[in-house]
Amino acid sequence: MKAEYRRGILLKVAMLVFSLICIVLFVGLLSVSNYEGVGLMETYQIIWNHLFGEPYETGSLYWWADRYIWNTAMPHALAAILAGAALAVCGAMMQSIMTNPLADPYSTGISSGACFGAISAIVMGLSFSTVVGEMGIVTNAFIGAMVPALLIVFLSQRIHMTPATLILLGTAVSYFFNSMVTYLMVTTDVDTLQSAYLWQIGSLDGMTWSSLPFMAVFTIAGSAIVMLMASKLNVMSLGENSAVSLGVDIQSFRLYCLILMAVMTAAIVSFTGILGFIGLVAPHLVRLVIGSDNRFVIPMSMAVGALLMLVSDYLAFQFASIPVGVVLSVIGSPVFFALIVWQNKRTGAIY
Amino acid sequence: MEYRATNRRKVAFVILFAAIAAGAFFLTLSFGVYDISFSDSIGAFFGHLAGGYVDPTDDHYIWDVRTPRAIGAILVGAGLSVAGVVMQNDFKNPLADPYTLGISSGAFLGATLSLVLGISLIPALSGNTATVVNAMVFSLFPTAIIILVARFRRMTPVAMILTGIAVMYLFSSITQIILVSATAESLSDAYQWRVGSLNRVTWDSLPVMLAVDVVMILLLWLLSGKLNVMYAGDRGAQTLGETAQRIRVVTLVMASLMTACMVCYTGTIGFIGLVGPHVARIFVGSNNRYLIPASAAFGAAFVILADTVAKVSGANGLPVGVICSMIGGPLFIWILIRQRKSAWL
Repeated sequence: MKAEYRRGILLKVAMLVFSLICIVLFVGLLSVSNYEGVGLMETYQIIWNHLFGEPYETGSLYWWADRYIWNTAMPHALAAILAGAALAVCGAMMQSIMTNPLADPYSTGISSGACFGAISAIVMGLSFSTVVGEMGIVTNAFIGAMVPALLIVFLSQRIHMTPATLILLGTAVSYFFNSMVTYLMVTTDVDTLQSAYLWQIGSLDGMTWSSLPFMAVFTIAGSAIVMLMASKLNVMSLGENSAVSLGVDIQSFRLYCLILMAVMTAAIVSFTGILGFIGLVAPHLVRLVIGSDNRFVIPMSMAVGALLMLVSDYLAFQFASIPVGVVLSVIGSPVFFALIVWQNKRTGAIY
Repeated sequence: MEYRATNRRKVAFVILFAAIAAGAFFLTLSFGVYDISFSDSIGAFFGHLAGGYVDPTDDHYIWDVRTPRAIGAILVGAGLSVAGVVMQNDFKNPLADPYTLGISSGAFLGATLSLVLGISLIPALSGNTATVVNAMVFSLFPTAIIILVARFRRMTPVAMILTGIAVMYLFSSITQIILVSATAESLSDAYQWRVGSLNRVTWDSLPVMLAVDVVMILLLWLLSGKLNVMYAGDRGAQTLGETAQRIRVVTLVMASLMTACMVCYTGTIGFIGLVGPHVARIFVGSNNRYLIPASAAFGAAFVILADTVAKVSGANGLPVGVICSMIGGPLFIWILIRQRKSAWL
């Protein structure tokens, strides 16, 4: 019994270490530039040097490579890590508090709100705030994403919120916003429709250092809070009755979780567009391997989410014209499919 | 006594919404871009039925365009709602809808192949027919994959849904690859297809839709007892001597076929398949013997009314899906707030 428990811990640690190594590897791969004589090893050396060493001589080969890595590759890679980690954490949390394997960060309508915000900026040039231009899209998306969350907070004062009601409410809200989005898209001209469509798919192109602090603050703070709540989430996923009898105030706890998740998700999607798949699938991938204890699922989901995102971004980068959101589902779905069909009998009991 | 009274109320719900759907059928004939009064449109409709003389322009708009569209609305509303009931019941999940098993993404891939790349599965076909056939064939792929996997592996309902999602993502990512490299014009075509509209429904599409719809809804209604047993839970279903998995697979295939037949002619009209069953359930409860006809009646009434609004909104009319969600979303929220306890739990 004890030996088996040990083996379980070992498996979890091994998976975590493996993901972290892969993350480092892919950050390097993303940073490899087209410069002659700057390979993978040199890239790591340049990154290390930039952080802790002397700057290179202006105009030299390494100086150019350094510039490329620091201005283009790094913001990209960090954005991928942050987005992957944040969405995966939100997904894991959502699936626990809703006790529904189909829930994802977008289940309460956040994505459609964000979409409506962004697309009204793209199609009509309409801004909900005083900010215009590229940042106008971001702020619009953020504000739009908050609307469904606020609505749920407001309504929860009036009705008893079971997970089913919450999800149905989210669905109703997202249908409403989606219909507005569709309305805007079918009435606009074809070129605007194309750029709006591309925003929806989600991409990490054009990420710069300026967008990172915002994403980073919300992701790190949010994930830390979720991590602290992990054991409470475990109680939640036992189901409503057990949670009540174990002394959790489920109504307000669920509400806090939803608000936290809304802010985290909005901080990501307003910059990247709707990156689907990761929030739903990363937690499942983790659970299928290590079981459903949230104390492990949450950090693991972050690592796996970040890794998936990086790998997809790397591949998207190789096939220049395909957005990362597409690559994500191309490589993620067969893996997901295989994992479901060939579930591990021992840990697979969760489904 | 009270039991009888409740049942009578359920039957009344069905009759009421069936009547609304029938009324809306005549109402919708006078709505659209072509301007015609209510009495003229009714006159033209019955005039054509009786074989009398009808003004050719009126006849064209009323008989050739609006009548098939109205019948299509009723069929789509009823069919998708009933498919939604079956999915939610089989998976015991309030989020399930006719597209949960990936039908919509399959159909969209098929349509995109034809609209953007000009590929037809049956080389002899082209244009609209090719799109319909492509959509029809591809929409059944995801279900086929799931059923195939379920034959060889013991699968719980949740595993089946997750498989459906995996297949759906796979198909839609292929579609997205095609679409991101498509020209703006063909992307627009494909997008319009996906949004779902009833203006592609003609007399030619009705026989298939009608036959499949009527047969499937009737069969599913006859199976409602078995569906109820499954709703009580797999364990219960086994003790009652039913093989839950077999009923599940059979009913899922039926619902999928019905959905595929709607989708390939209209594109993916969302909302009604998810929300129709929930609204009906709030009024008549979860007994499928009442829930199936109630959902069918509500769905039909809702879609035909939404399409009536859709035809006169915007410059040239809007897709019906937009109106469905725009009206239905707030309506659904209101119903959720009003209801005391969740009908689902």
